[in-house]
Amino acid sequence: MTVAQRLGRSAAVMAALLCIMLAAPVASAHHSAALFYDMGARITLKGEVMRWNFRNPHAILDLDVKNAKGEIEHWTCETSAPSALRRAGWSQDSIKAGEIVTVEGVPARDGSKLMRITGVTKADGTKVGTTGRMDD
Amino acid sequence: MNKPLALAALLASTVAASAHAEADLSGYWLTAYGQIPPVRKATAPEQALIDLLPKGTLLLADSGLKEFPPGDFGGLEVTPEYKARADKYDIEIQRSVSTTCRPPSIIYSTQGPFPIEIFQGKDLIVIKMEYFDVVRIIFMNEKTHPKEWPSSVTGHSIGHWEGDTLVVDTVHISSATFLNNGLDHSDNMHLFERFRVSPDGKELMITQEYDDPAVFKGHAARFIPMNKGKPTDHVYPYDCDPAYGSAIEERTK
Repeated sequence: MTVAQRLGRSAAVMAALLCIMLAAPVASAHHSAALFYDMGARITLKGEVMRWNFRNPHAILDLDVKNAKGEIEHWTCETSAPSALRRAGWSQDSIKAGEIVTVEGVPARDGSKLMRITGVTKADGTKVGTTGRMDD
Repeated sequence: MNKPLALAALLASTVAASAHAEADLSGYWLTAYGQIPPVRKATAPEQALIDLLPKGTLLLADSGLKEFPPGDFGGLEVTPEYKARADKYDIEIQRSVSTTCRPPSIIYSTQGPFPIEIFQGKDLIVIKMEYFDVVRIIFMNEKTHPKEWPSSVTGHSIGHWEGDTLVVDTVHISSATFLNNGLDHSDNMHLFERFRVSPDGKELMITQEYDDPAVFKGHAARFIPMNKGKPTDHVYPYDCDPAYGSAIEERTK
């Protein structure tokens, strides 16, 4: 039984909640997303997971992405607070180091290789969490 | 008085008393998502609580997920000193290793999108906040604030019941962010709160009234609605990890 089921909330309600939390034009915590990310833009990255640190205040996904020149770029992808994400079925075990994932999100304002995650899809097409697609 | 009349009078007084009895606020409450008054129109029970704010109070429109961008103080008439501080605000401080796990005060954290759990006793009411594992204690058995008390993110809170409404007065709150965009409140912030459960029992309605003349003129407030969870729901440990700040600092060097 998932955490969402345990809480007795429908998947649709949880999806709506997480869409708001992850894609809202403002922060879900003291660390304000609006200050650091271009919330009106979207990027998609596909790469190999180096590390998935599912800890508050925001979980961090380290991703190695091969660019057009064939060079490896090291990206840091952050999410919302894991304590909130748990209610939508995310956990430390949701993503494993070494697996290939596609990450959708919002780019950093300063152009650094940093993004705010709105959704993660595994190589087999499975969406991470119970929320399915989590962008806006 | 004859017996039927006496019985009716007793019944009426009992009903009247129960209508104004102390409410049961205990349990798990999750911040309501979506639009929050004044962004949306308040329901009648919400408006009844909001109407208890002093006339002329500015109701801030940033409860829940919404935040004001830098330089936008939501209509507050900010003093020159605190405006100057906000203008110099370095946003990078929010995600540095030194501040990543520093909790904001209850001025900001109560309206954040995290659940709370209330343990209600006669002499004490304890509010366990998921956000940064902050725990508030409201002293129901004390009538005044101590003059000497260490400033903290929770301050010193005394409470009493006005019918079905919990009224809480808090001082000794250490300076911390007010709007999360560079505007802080001072150590002399005076917080006045009302907690009331909606008639259907599903919503905990909170008003936070702010008085901090060093920072802004007049009175300001937030309306904070929370939805009732199940008896088996509990707040999670927050257990903040400074490694977040370290990872971001490393990436943005």
